[in-house]
Amino acid sequence: MQFKSQAVAKPYFIAAIGLFVGQILFGLILGLQYVLGDFLFPAIPFNVARMVHTNLLIVWLLFGFMGGTYYMIPEEAETELFSPKLALLMFWVFLVAGALTIVGYLAVPYATLAELTGNNLLETMGREFLEQPLPTKLGIVVVALAFLFNVTMTVLKGKKTAIATVLLIGLWGLAVFFLFSFYNPVNVVLDKFFWWWTVHLWVEGVWELILGSFLAFVLIKTTGVDREVIEKWLYVIVTLTLISGIIGTGHHYFWIGTPEYWQWWGSIFSALEPIPFFGMTVFAFNMVNRRRREHPNKAAVLWALGTGVMAFLGAGVWGFLHTLAPVNYYTHGTQITAAHGHMAFYGAYAMVNLMMISYAMPILNGRAANSNKSQVLEMWSFWLMTVAMVFITLFLTAAGILQVWLQRVSDTPLPFMVAQEKIALFYWMREWAGVMFLIGLILYITSFFYGGQEEKAA
Amino acid sequence: MSGAFTKSMARNIFYGGTVFFFLLFLALSFDTHSQLPKRDMRANITPQIAEGKKLWEVNNCIGCHTLLGEGAYFAPELGNVVVRYGDEGTKAFIQSRPKDGIPGRRSMPQFNFTDEQLNAIVAFLKHVNSINAANWPPNSQG
Amino acid sequence: MCAMTTAALIPPETPQKRLPGDLAIWFFILAEMLAFAVFFASYAFARARNVEMFNLYQQTLDRNAGALNTFLLITGSWFVVRAVQAAHRNDQKAIPRNILLGFLCGGGFLVVKVFEYAAKFGAGISMSTNTFYMFYISLTFFHFMHVILGMVILTILWVQARKGVYGSHDAHGLESGAAYWHMVDLLWIILFPLVYVMR
Repeated sequence: MQFKSQAVAKPYFIAAIGLFVGQILFGLILGLQYVLGDFLFPAIPFNVARMVHTNLLIVWLLFGFMGGTYYMIPEEAETELFSPKLALLMFWVFLVAGALTIVGYLAVPYATLAELTGNNLLETMGREFLEQPLPTKLGIVVVALAFLFNVTMTVLKGKKTAIATVLLIGLWGLAVFFLFSFYNPVNVVLDKFFWWWTVHLWVEGVWELILGSFLAFVLIKTTGVDREVIEKWLYVIVTLTLISGIIGTGHHYFWIGTPEYWQWWGSIFSALEPIPFFGMTVFAFNMVNRRRREHPNKAAVLWALGTGVMAFLGAGVWGFLHTLAPVNYYTHGTQITAAHGHMAFYGAYAMVNLMMISYAMPILNGRAANSNKSQVLEMWSFWLMTVAMVFITLFLTAAGILQVWLQRVSDTPLPFMVAQEKIALFYWMREWAGVMFLIGLILYITSFFYGGQEEKAA
Repeated sequence: MSGAFTKSMARNIFYGGTVFFFLLFLALSFDTHSQLPKRDMRANITPQIAEGKKLWEVNNCIGCHTLLGEGAYFAPELGNVVVRYGDEGTKAFIQSRPKDGIPGRRSMPQFNFTDEQLNAIVAFLKHVNSINAANWPPNSQG
Repeated sequence: MCAMTTAALIPPETPQKRLPGDLAIWFFILAEMLAFAVFFASYAFARARNVEMFNLYQQTLDRNAGALNTFLLITGSWFVVRAVQAAHRNDQKAIPRNILLGFLCGGGFLVVKVFEYAAKFGAGISMSTNTFYMFYISLTFFHFMHVILGMVILTILWVQARKGVYGSHDAHGLESGAAYWHMVDLLWIILFPLVYVMR
């Protein structure tokens, strides 16, 4: 560890992994509810479990982003963090706010929670992914601003590298576009229109800058390829991301009451969205092939390559699969969307965070890399989780194709629930793939406690 | 072929390209806003519909259902539920959910809505159904 | 594209095949041309499914304005080529002058286009009128924005050229900007016959 203040990243990483476990457990509950409809009903109805699952995902990714940023910014700026104390304080604020929110979801009916938390003052709740009560949303803003202040001040007093700049733009964008979550007009079309300014411009816009920046940082560190080379490719890739992704928002404006020209604009630009992901994969493999040193942390390199490939498959290929308006007319709001969402989030954002944690955690623990044993275990967990996610995606895709066929394309369309029962087999298989994912995750956590001591000197 | 490839050029293109495409997106959004009143039926929004939307939100209906295809995929699309069940049928369905669910099946919670609330919810769902969503969903099953 | 083929055809006296301008701008140009190519293909696809409607509304377009604009952009590109040539022979006065003339051609294009739009919008035509007008407005407006971006780039080049940044020693930035400007021109040369003329 080059700078003392990088140590604040550690609690962020630990919290991220803890919340990740929670997310997966609730994912398994949801998967079971898909086939055993009354499982845990009425104690934890599906909507509550889903809200916990998706919100934990968002929160743990944010913890990972913040931890990763705190780790890499001092090294990039070549100076200590502006205020490590503020970073630790914000860690606790965010963790407590997050935990209280989850407890609130589980403890009281959602309507009661809305009543208790002042939703009547400003109605922002009850929209997908933005279910957080008003105080939590405000808390996110406060934490984000304090975090951005801390990081920006650090960069301002130190070196301003391209990687840090792209990261800062991504993080500021994240905060700015979150503000649209406070805008909830009565007009449902407008509501949906701007809801996507948070959701789409996050995951297919500014978050990709964070992803690219993290990836570039770890590639520089592990391959020893010139910063100059990596940084200019980073710029090219994020340019391609934004020129396709910003107008690519249009692929959400096909069927929500917005004008029909979006069917063309959205299809055309989102058809280009796989290109930057493909670029990222080629970039990662190229840099690793041109490596000038053998970094002892093989697991981190594996995650780096994995995130490129899986983001391309999940976001790029599975996104393209249903992004063209004539296809999307039939697949919109089916299991196809769920399939894409799972692999894209895992490939792009879960894996990039795991990559950063994999790279940084050993260093935060005072060694360049974990012992060989520990790394082998971590790589097993990589393959288990990744293959499990491929299966989850394939099964959901199969379920989705059948659903579309039975419920929408057929001459005698079946009602939703009838179609669901006919495809239950695929939901069962998805659930088993989910169990495999959980085993991978358990191995992953075990790898932190396993054989870590033997090569401490390395 | 030996072309130069400089970081400063790549950076300038990143900034320029981003600003350019964001402005283009704003221009399209601006046009969308001028067209929306013809499609989103905003003139018909009554306080009752607004109340219905609020009930839709504070009960987290989107956590199981889709509305115009957006939401969770656990329960049916509701943008056209009034076409499937009619006003009264929709209300009767919501009202008749058993408190402890139906054994072995996906069940909707019993929300204990008043008649007034049920009317507001149906008014909201009817409003959503009236939005010009480019002929989506493909059929009445959603 | 043109520049690339030219580069490939340069006789062997030049020591090495050289890509004019920065590789980064070529990535950008390729991405932009890809976006336009998909747009053009979409136009062809939509037109093939409704030829009569497209032909009918195509006749409402002002082909003279389109032709004038084609002339303006080609002339503009010619001036920009002259600016690059001036840089290679170190004619410091001619560089900014030719860039400025290229810029003015772009400005002329915008003026003509604004009149054309004013007539169309005045008649109540919008992107939501029908599929033909959707493509007409989308494609030309997307291109219109590119002309503006090209002019912004020319302005930067002009300021730099007046400072004497470019010359036989270094024409890197100038060539990059010029390549982009030629792309804007090239796209119009495809767009004009496709949308205004071809039936």
